[in-house]
Amino acid sequence: MKSAEEINFAMEAYADMVRRICFVHLKNRDDTEDVFQNVYMKYMLHEGSFESREHEKAWFARVTINACKDLLRYFSRRKWVPLDVIAEEKEALNDTTEEVLEVVLKLPEKYRNVIYLYYYEGYSAAEIAGILGRKENTVYTWLARAKTLLREKLGGEWE
Amino acid sequence: MNLIRESLDRIQATEELKQNTLHYLDERQKKKRRARVHYAPAYVLAAAGLLFLISLGGHSVYRRPVSYISIDVNPSIELGVNRFGRVVSAEAYNEDGSGVLEQVPLKNISYMQAVNRLLNDDKYNRYLEKDGVLVFTVISERPEDILKELSASEMAEKYEALTYTSDLSCREEAHQHEMSFGKYRTYLELRGYDEGVTIEDCHGMTMGELRDRIDACTHNGQTGGGTQHGGTHGNHHAHGD
Repeated sequence: MKSAEEINFAMEAYADMVRRICFVHLKNRDDTEDVFQNVYMKYMLHEGSFESREHEKAWFARVTINACKDLLRYFSRRKWVPLDVIAEEKEALNDTTEEVLEVVLKLPEKYRNVIYLYYYEGYSAAEIAGILGRKENTVYTWLARAKTLLREKLGGEWE
Repeated sequence: MNLIRESLDRIQATEELKQNTLHYLDERQKKKRRARVHYAPAYVLAAAGLLFLISLGGHSVYRRPVSYISIDVNPSIELGVNRFGRVVSAEAYNEDGSGVLEQVPLKNISYMQAVNRLLNDDKYNRYLEKDGVLVFTVISERPEDILKELSASEMAEKYEALTYTSDLSCREEAHQHEMSFGKYRTYLELRGYDEGVTIEDCHGMTMGELRDRIDACTHNGQTGGGTQHGGTHGNHHAHGD
């Protein structure tokens, strides 16, 4: 089991990333809190060691994406309303960022993952393939399609 | 800075969210410690009870399963687990499952040893590659304990195993259709979305194919699934803890 010191470090280091992954997948703050507890609980009970901080960070990304998917499957009948989560963050956003996030959240789930991991976290396609357990070529295809969709909605100046 | 980065940069974990999570973990740790203290004398009693039962011909207690774990990819295998956490029965519910059981002995070891032995087996691994979907379904008085252990295992994480609970009536119905209760639970979930699907169709489908059909139905916005049968025959264990 991880020590309090390790947990505190992981909270400071990865909480924002976990929050952003929740944001692109989940419907409200209650679900986010649920996934947060689940992810950090798994970390607390994780017996293996991490080769490096990068390895640990990628573990957090993978476990969070899986926890979000689990939760969504559980509540699959609930309607997905991206505007609700944006409304919760209204104070932090301006017109432009709100529009961008609205378009991102309307992308299919697999595209949301690659867009976040590629553009925000700066992972390469090979690294994203490792996190998502998919082939590198699949990630390239998803990235290309996601970029096309974003270009259609946002024009050419978002990148 | 690109616009996506700039926009997402504004989404941050609040102090409240972090503190609530740390508080939750702290409570769980305390609970765990308390449980350990309570269980210590229980272990002694259990050992004494075990000796007593053995002296009374308690072998039948050892052999009687109190929990069941259905492990489905394409091979469908059900493990019966006794009250000491040991596997006392291992049954295959399709041809692939029989092939695996012929090569991998799973009885008389702890259920976690059995699961790890299975998932580390080369022959079994071939089913997990190429987008195989691994599903654990548990029937137990306290399924959360077993699900927690299964979810925390490295191999389950590697293959992104899905975990569900079910019940004995679902198991009985499943066996009438010569199907493991794990696969049957998934069939019921799919039937909730697509009434045209038959048990015969599902016999010939892998868990990956069943999951793809369910995903296709949910993406098409069809209603059904979840509650219609899930409530009776099991529900998704969403938290994995």
